Amino acid sequence: MSLLEVRALSAGYGPVEVLHGIDLDVDHGEMVVILGANGAGKTTTMRAVSGMIGRSGSVTFDGVDITRTNAEKLVGMGIAHVPQGRGTFPDLTVMDNLRVGAYARSGGIAADIDRWFAVFPRLAERRDQRAGSLSGGEQQMLAIARALMSHPKLLLCDEPSLGLAPLITQEVFEVLKKLNADEGLSVLLVEQNANLALKVAQRVYLLETGTVVASGSAAQIASDDAIRKAYLGA
Amino acid sequence: MLRIDEGSTRHWLLRLLGFAVITFIVVWVPTQMSSSRIGQFTDAFILMIAAMSLNLVLGFTGQISIGHSAFFGIGGYTAAILIKDHGWSPGYTFYAAAVVAFVVGCVVALPALRIRGIYLALVTLAVAVLFPTLVRWKKLAWLTDGSKGMDSVRYEDVPVWPILGELKGREGRAVFMFWLGLIVVVATYLVCRGIVKSRFGRALVAIRDNETAAAVMGVNLTTTKVLVFGVSAALCALGGVLSTLKSGVITPDGQYVTLLGSIVFLLVMIVGGAGTLWGPIIGGLVYVWLDNTTRDIGTSDSGILGALFGWADQSPATLILGLVLVVIMFAAPYGLVGLAKRLGRKVVVIVPRPVGSSTPR
Repeated sequence: MSLLEVRALSAGYGPVEVLHGIDLDVDHGEMVVILGANGAGKTTTMRAVSGMIGRSGSVTFDGVDITRTNAEKLVGMGIAHVPQGRGTFPDLTVMDNLRVGAYARSGGIAADIDRWFAVFPRLAERRDQRAGSLSGGEQQMLAIARALMSHPKLLLCDEPSLGLAPLITQEVFEVLKKLNADEGLSVLLVEQNANLALKVAQRVYLLETGTVVASGSAAQIASDDAIRKAYLGA
Repeated sequence: MLRIDEGSTRHWLLRLLGFAVITFIVVWVPTQMSSSRIGQFTDAFILMIAAMSLNLVLGFTGQISIGHSAFFGIGGYTAAILIKDHGWSPGYTFYAAAVVAFVVGCVVALPALRIRGIYLALVTLAVAVLFPTLVRWKKLAWLTDGSKGMDSVRYEDVPVWPILGELKGREGRAVFMFWLGLIVVVATYLVCRGIVKSRFGRALVAIRDNETAAAVMGVNLTTTKVLVFGVSAALCALGGVLSTLKSGVITPDGQYVTLLGSIVFLLVMIVGGAGTLWGPIIGGLVYVWLDNTTRDIGTSDSGILGALFGWADQSPATLILGLVLVVIMFAAPYGLVGLAKRLGRKVVVIVPRPVGSSTPR
């Protein structure tokens, strides 16, 4: 059984339905990417999975039906969400941002902070600085480290490349790939930068106006000429 | 410029110096000053408590409230009713007022779960407007004595405390109220400090900075907001009790009970420094000092100010106070504490502990 099973998921904002019944799976230790144009419903999918917006259909996580579970509870169950645009707390220090990341649990927090400081040395240097004074790349690293503080089984990462220089984006993806390969962390990624995402992910879902129009292994999607032309720009 | 390592002996000496200065002032005021001066300090304490409580919801959690005058009034009225109608000893009314205001605060927080910004301001504004009306309501007159309010709810004979000894008469009461006020200020400060530096406090700032991200980190927005409103209301009520015990009277249009009170709390908090622990304390002192200094201006025709404002029928106190506050906001947009921090950095720098030393190994 997959770690995350999404069946006939519909969600939206008020009267506007954005997702029209999508199916999606993330296996244990798998890195899955959702590609699609602006307005396709990628971010809505993430929000629906993490329980931030109302949804219908069914979402099963680790064998438990979580369709009716709210966002705060899901953190404790093992879903961490790195929201679009990072969502770090600008007036808290780097350390305190990480502490908030561990809000849903207790014990061993200091050791965890040290562990992620080892993975992200730049954050260690800036530990007592306000998060708002970090660069975009550092803030993205902080958002990921903060999400990892909750000991997630599944990391939802919403467009980590947003507003980052190509080199920094690559750095972020290296980290995600490493976490996936070394720690066996399952990742559901939303990304606009298709070429980069296809290199790190194992499986791909292609989203168009709220429905899944294609899915398959990263290699399949990358080699399909029609899909390449339509979505990935040749 | 002086550089001091965090946690070093010199850093502790600096803290000790600050503590000594405050202790000196606190002992000097009630022993050496006139009882009207002492009373002004107690007034400042009352404002500090209210502003600190507002700071918790607005400064740290980012939830605007213009309804704190109602919590203040609830505190005052709870004390008055318990003392007059039920014969309570004044000291115990602090606890009762805190409990009543906590419950009301939690209820007022409910709209804050759905709305924010200017809309929340309007809802809390309604609470502030509603409270005096409710108190004046004829059907509640059996409880609140309607618009004439309640009087002689002060300490008739102030309790004898060790160290202070026996205090008698008006002067004695002023000294006693000063110490009582100080205790409540310190208690309120410690509660705020404890909250802000804790896990709960980080959740508050997280909500202020980014509500969505806080929720996906596992912060329960409902519980957190309701609790912080409740605690804030309870602390604000302590200020109300203190104010009532000091003056001995409370009326529906009494000081800080009306909407104007909420505005003053807001002003004190912002002038001192929103989202800082010391802001409301500095703000309270500055506000009371300005209020008392400007009050006398224009009543005499001498001097520059007399020449400037002598033509006015009324005392220009409010006008001058307003102008001074505008100037302060221009010079110190982050409040006086923000300004002091900025200037202080030019003289003394506290160097944070080096990387890797926060977690004991």
